[in-house]
Amino acid sequence: MAQIFKPSADTWLRLTVLAVFVAVLGGGLLGSGFARSAYLTRVGWPVEQPVPFSHAHHAGELGIDCRYCHADVERGRYAGLPASHVCMTCHSQLWTGAPMLAPERASFAEDKPLAWKRVSALPGYVYFDHHIHIARGIACVECHGRIDTMPLTWRAHPFQMRFCIDCHRNPAPHLRPPDQVTRMDWSGWDKVPAHRTYGQQAMKRFHIDPVRLTDCDVCHR
Amino acid sequence: MRDRALHKGAVRSSAEALAAAKLAGRTGRRFWRALEELTDAPAFRRALEAEFPNAFAGVTEAGRREVLKAMGASLAFAGLAGCTAAPHPDALPYVTQPGDLVLGTPKTYATAVVFGGYAQPVLGLTHEGRPTKLEGLPEHPASQGATDAFTQAALLGLYDPDRSKAPRFMGRPTDWSGFDAAMVENAERLDATRGEGLRLLTGAVSSPTFARQLAELMQRWPLARWHVFEPVNQDLRLEATRLAFGRPLEIQPRFEACRAIVSFDDDFLGPGAWQTRNARAWSQARRAFQGGRGEARLMVAEPAPSLAGAMAAERLIASADEVEIMVQALAGRLGAGPAPQLRLTPRQAQWVEAAAQALQRNPGAGLVLAGAHCDPAVQALALQLNERIGAIGKTLGFCAPILLQPPDGTRSFEALAADLAAGRVDTLAILEANPVYAAPADLDFPAAMQKARLRIHAGLHFDETAAACHWHAPLEHALETWDDARAVDGRTSLIQPLVRPFYAVRARSVFLQNLQGRLGGDPRAILLATWADRLGGEADPRWRETLARGFVDEPAPPQTPGAAGAPAVRLRRRGGGITVLIRPDPTIWDGRFGDNPWLQELPKPFNKLTWDNAVLVAPALAAQLDLKNGDHVRLSAGGRAIEGPAWLTPGLERRTVVVHLGYGRSLPGQLADGRGYDAYPLRTSAAPWRVEGAAAAKTGGKTELASTQLYTALQGFDFVRTAPVAAAQPGPPHPPPPSFYPPRLSGSPQWGMAIDTDTCIGCNACVTACDAENNVPMTGKSQVANGREMHWLRIDAYYEGSPDDPAFFNQPVPCMHCEQAPCEMGCPVNASVHTHDGLNMQVYNRCIGTRTCSSFCPYKVRHFNWFDYTLHDPPELRAARNPEVTVRSRGIMEKCTYCVQRIEKARIQADVENRPIRDGEVVTACQQACPTEAIVFGDVSDPESRVSKLKAQQRNYSLLEEVNTRPRTTYLARIDDGATHD
Repeated sequence: MAQIFKPSADTWLRLTVLAVFVAVLGGGLLGSGFARSAYLTRVGWPVEQPVPFSHAHHAGELGIDCRYCHADVERGRYAGLPASHVCMTCHSQLWTGAPMLAPERASFAEDKPLAWKRVSALPGYVYFDHHIHIARGIACVECHGRIDTMPLTWRAHPFQMRFCIDCHRNPAPHLRPPDQVTRMDWSGWDKVPAHRTYGQQAMKRFHIDPVRLTDCDVCHR
Repeated sequence: MRDRALHKGAVRSSAEALAAAKLAGRTGRRFWRALEELTDAPAFRRALEAEFPNAFAGVTEAGRREVLKAMGASLAFAGLAGCTAAPHPDALPYVTQPGDLVLGTPKTYATAVVFGGYAQPVLGLTHEGRPTKLEGLPEHPASQGATDAFTQAALLGLYDPDRSKAPRFMGRPTDWSGFDAAMVENAERLDATRGEGLRLLTGAVSSPTFARQLAELMQRWPLARWHVFEPVNQDLRLEATRLAFGRPLEIQPRFEACRAIVSFDDDFLGPGAWQTRNARAWSQARRAFQGGRGEARLMVAEPAPSLAGAMAAERLIASADEVEIMVQALAGRLGAGPAPQLRLTPRQAQWVEAAAQALQRNPGAGLVLAGAHCDPAVQALALQLNERIGAIGKTLGFCAPILLQPPDGTRSFEALAADLAAGRVDTLAILEANPVYAAPADLDFPAAMQKARLRIHAGLHFDETAAACHWHAPLEHALETWDDARAVDGRTSLIQPLVRPFYAVRARSVFLQNLQGRLGGDPRAILLATWADRLGGEADPRWRETLARGFVDEPAPPQTPGAAGAPAVRLRRRGGGITVLIRPDPTIWDGRFGDNPWLQELPKPFNKLTWDNAVLVAPALAAQLDLKNGDHVRLSAGGRAIEGPAWLTPGLERRTVVVHLGYGRSLPGQLADGRGYDAYPLRTSAAPWRVEGAAAAKTGGKTELASTQLYTALQGFDFVRTAPVAAAQPGPPHPPPPSFYPPRLSGSPQWGMAIDTDTCIGCNACVTACDAENNVPMTGKSQVANGREMHWLRIDAYYEGSPDDPAFFNQPVPCMHCEQAPCEMGCPVNASVHTHDGLNMQVYNRCIGTRTCSSFCPYKVRHFNWFDYTLHDPPELRAARNPEVTVRSRGIMEKCTYCVQRIEKARIQADVENRPIRDGEVVTACQQACPTEAIVFGDVSDPESRVSKLKAQQRNYSLLEEVNTRPRTTYLARIDDGATHD
C-alpha cells in the first residue's frame, strides 16, 4: 500500500496548527484592540452638531457655570441639555444676526426642539444618575474631561463598563468636595497634604461602601 | 383500533373514580391545582416534569442540517454585534422647559379613570409628559391608594393602537368639519321640532358636568329624551331598595365594621367598580380578627365559585334558586319574615343555622348581602334581614344613586328599543355605549336602530355600534381629557389630562355641545363652568386645591331609609334542565377591555384562562355530557343558543353552567376580533343574569384554551398552609436548617417580602400592576398555550377536597429571592447574581439565554423571551413603557426584581440626604396596588419593620422549605376559622 501522506505532511500540519494559533491569538488581540480603539469608543472625536457650540468659549473663556445650562444635574438623573429658551437668554441680545446661530433662533421661533447629538450617551440598559454623583462630589471633569478646553465637544473617556467600575471599586481618589464639582482644574489638589485623605474621609462620612457599589443592580435593572 | 377507542372511553369515564380514589387514599391534607392533577393526566405530568413543556413548538420546522448551519453561523457572527461605533443618538431638549420639571423624574397628577360610570381615583405618573403608570390615590377614602386590575390596565387603553383616531362618516375616515356641518344642520332641524325624536343613549354616567349639560340640552329641546344602556348594571339592586324603602337607593356597606358577613351569591370581593373599596375594608376587619379583636366570619352560599366564596369560612354550593330559598329560611329563622315551609337539605339547614348564629353572636356587626343579580324581592328581603339584625346605619348605609338615573329608570333601554321599533326616533346619538353588540337578544336592537333617520356614535373605538351609525366621533380617553365623575363613595373626582390628545379626538363634553350645533368647545372651560359656584374660577385657590387633591372631599350624603318592607318572595323552584348564569368576564368585563392585551393575557381567577372565555361546567355535569376542557358545548334556551368551549370548574353547582360576557366580537383588524364566544345572544331583558331550563349538548367541536394553571405547577409539599388564629401572634424565631453553602448576606438593608394568604383574594391587581411597572411583554394566546407567558408574578390557585366542593386558596408567587439561590449556581455566565442587600438579580446584558437558571429554579418564576415580543410594537405602545426598566430582547431570561428601580430610587434619595432608607419608603408595584394590603415589602434586617413583624408571626412559612433555598419571600398561612376543611 502506498503511503497516504507525503513526508512534508508533518510540516504542513505543524504550520497549520501554528497558523490557526496565530490567527486566533492575533484575531483576539486585534479584536480587543479594536474594541478599545478611539474609533469604537469615540474618544477624542468631535461630534458634529447643528450649532457648533464651543464649551471652550462659554465655560472656559466666559466662565459660565455648568449648571446654568445643565440645570437638572443636581436634581435628577439627567443633566439635561439647555432648552432653546436658555440659549436665547443671552443670544436674544448677543450675536443676534450670526448665521451660525440661525438653527437656534429658528428653534425658538418655531417652537421646535433643536436636535443635538448626544456626546456622552450610555447604552439603554445602564441607569446612570447624575444627581447622586454630584451630591457625593464626583467632579464633572472626572467623566467629561476638560470640557472648558474643547472648541467642539468630544467624548473624553470611553464610556465602557470598565471606566465606571474602576471608580466604583475605588472611589476615594475621585471624590472632591461637593461644592466644587464644577471646578475643571484639579492639578494642584493632591499637592496639599490635607487633601490626600479627603477621599477616605468622604467615604466614611457618606457611608460609601465599594462592595455595595459594585452590585449589578446599582447600574443595571 | 377498536380496542384503543374502547380503552380511551374507559379512561375518560373512570377519571372521576380515579380522582376519588386518589383523594380517598390520603389521610393527611392534600391540595391540588387542577383536575388533571387528580386524574394524573399526561398533560399534568408533562407540565410538571419538563421545564419548558413545549420548548420547540413554533421555533423551527427546519431539519437537523439547517439547524446545525444556523448554529454555526450564529456562532461565527456572535461577536459582530459589538463592531459598531458607540452611536451619538439625538437629544431634543425642550424649547422652554417647564419650571417644575426635572428631567428623568416622573411627575404625578391626581385624576381618575372611569369604569362603569364610576370614577376610579388615581395618581397618574408621567415621564416627560408621557403617562407611564397609574397608582391609587392614597388620600382618597374609598380606595386608600389601592387599585384593581382594570384601573391599572386603563393606562394601556390610552395608548391602544385600535383606538379610533379620526371621525368617520358611513365608515370612512373624514375630518371634523364635515361632522360639525352635519351637526349644525341637524340642530336647526331639532330646534324646529323642539327636539322631538332626539334620543341620547349613554353608558352609565355619574358626571355632574354631564348632568349640567344634559339639563341645558333638555331646556333647549324639551321633547328630547335621555336613555342609559349599561350591560353590567345594578338595576336589580336599585329595584330592591325601591321595593324595600319606596325609593331607589345605593347600598354603602361598611365591611370594616363587619364581624359576620352572610353573602347570598354576592361576590362583593369580585371584579367591579366596588372591588377596591370593598376589599380594602374587608381586609381591615380581617386583620382585626387576626389581631384577636373579634370575629371576621364570612359565610357564602353561591352556585359558582367567586372571589368572596373562595375566602369564606363556610362556603355552601347551592343553585341560584336554592340560594333564594335560603334567604327566606334565614329570614324566617331570625324572625324577619314569615317562615314558610321550606324544604332545605340538611347541609343547607345547617349552614342557615350557622349563619343565624354568627349574626346573633355579633349584634350590630353583621351584614347580610344578596347578589346584585338576585331577584329584587329576594334582595329586598335581605335588606329587611339587615334591619332585623340592626345592621342598618352600622354596617350598612345608603345613599341616593351615585349614577345619574335616566327618566325611565331601569326600563330606560327597553323604552328606547320600543320607540325605535315604533319609528318614533329621528336622531339617535349613542355615547360610550355598544348596544349593537351587547343589547339583550329579545329587543333586536340592531334592526330597530336602523329605523332612526340619523345615527351618531361617539366613543373611544370604532366598534359594532359605530359601524351601524352614519357618523362616528372619536372621544378622548380619561387620561387626556377634562371631566368629572363620582367614585363609589359619592366623592366627585376631577379628571385632568396627563397628556394632550394624540389624535383628532374630542372630549365627551365637547361632543355634547357639538350635538347642539355649537362648534368647537374647550372641555376645561365646560368643567370649570360646572364648578364655578362651588370652587370659584380658574384662579381660585379652592379650584386649584381640589384639582391638586383630585377630588371634592364630600361623600354622598347618607340616607336613612324608613322601615323596610319586603314583598312576598315568589318561590321559584327550578324545573328541569340546566341553569345558565350570565356574568361579566373577570378581566374583559362586558367586552370593553377586549382590546387591552394586559387584561386579555391576565389569567382569570381559578381557571387561569387567557385570551378566551369558556363555558364553565361542573366536573359531574361534564362527565354526564362527556365533556373535556375545550370541547364545545351548545347551550340553548327559549329558541336561542350559544356555543362555546367547556371548562371543568371545581366547586360549581352540578346543574349550573356559567358563561362570561365580553367575547365573540366582530371588530375586523382589532385585537378583540373573533376571540372566544359571544354569550349575549342568550341574554334577554327579562332574564339578564340567569336562564333557567336550558339544554346543554356536546357538539363535537373543540377549541384549544390557553390556561396558565398547569405550566407553573410545583413539585413538593405544603405550598399552601392553614393555621389557627393563635398563629397570627409572634412566635419563637425559626432558624433555617443547616446548609453547606456559606452565609453571605449581612448588613442593612436586607430586602424581603411577606404575603398574607389570609387576605389575598386573588383579584389580579398585583399582576397587572407588575406588568405596567416592569414592561412585561404580552405574548399572545399561542405562546401562552405553549407555556411561555411572561408574567413576573402569578397567582396560583389551589384546591383542597373533592372536586365537587373544594376549598379554594390563592397564592401570589413572585421571585422568592432565595438567599441560597439555585439559579445563581446554574448560570454559566454569572448573569444571575446576588446583591449585597439580598436581591437575586438577573443581569440582562450578560444573559446569553442558556435557560439553566430556569431549570434550576424550584419555583418556576423565571421567564424566557423566546421571541422579541416587543419588536413590532407600534410607537404608541412604546410610549407606555416605564423608562426606568430595561425592555428585554429575545433570548433573555427575566423575572421579578422586587422592583429594583424603586429600591434604587429610594436608595439614591436616601444617600443624597445621607440617611438610611425608611421603612415603607420602598413600595413594590404589587404591594402598592394590592387592595387588601396582603403584600408587604421591606427591610428584614430591621426587627421593627412592618415586614419583619409579619415574618415573626408563627404562621410565617416559606415555599418548598425542604429544599433550603431560604427564600426572602415568605407566606403567612391562611387562618382556618371555618368548617370548610372537614
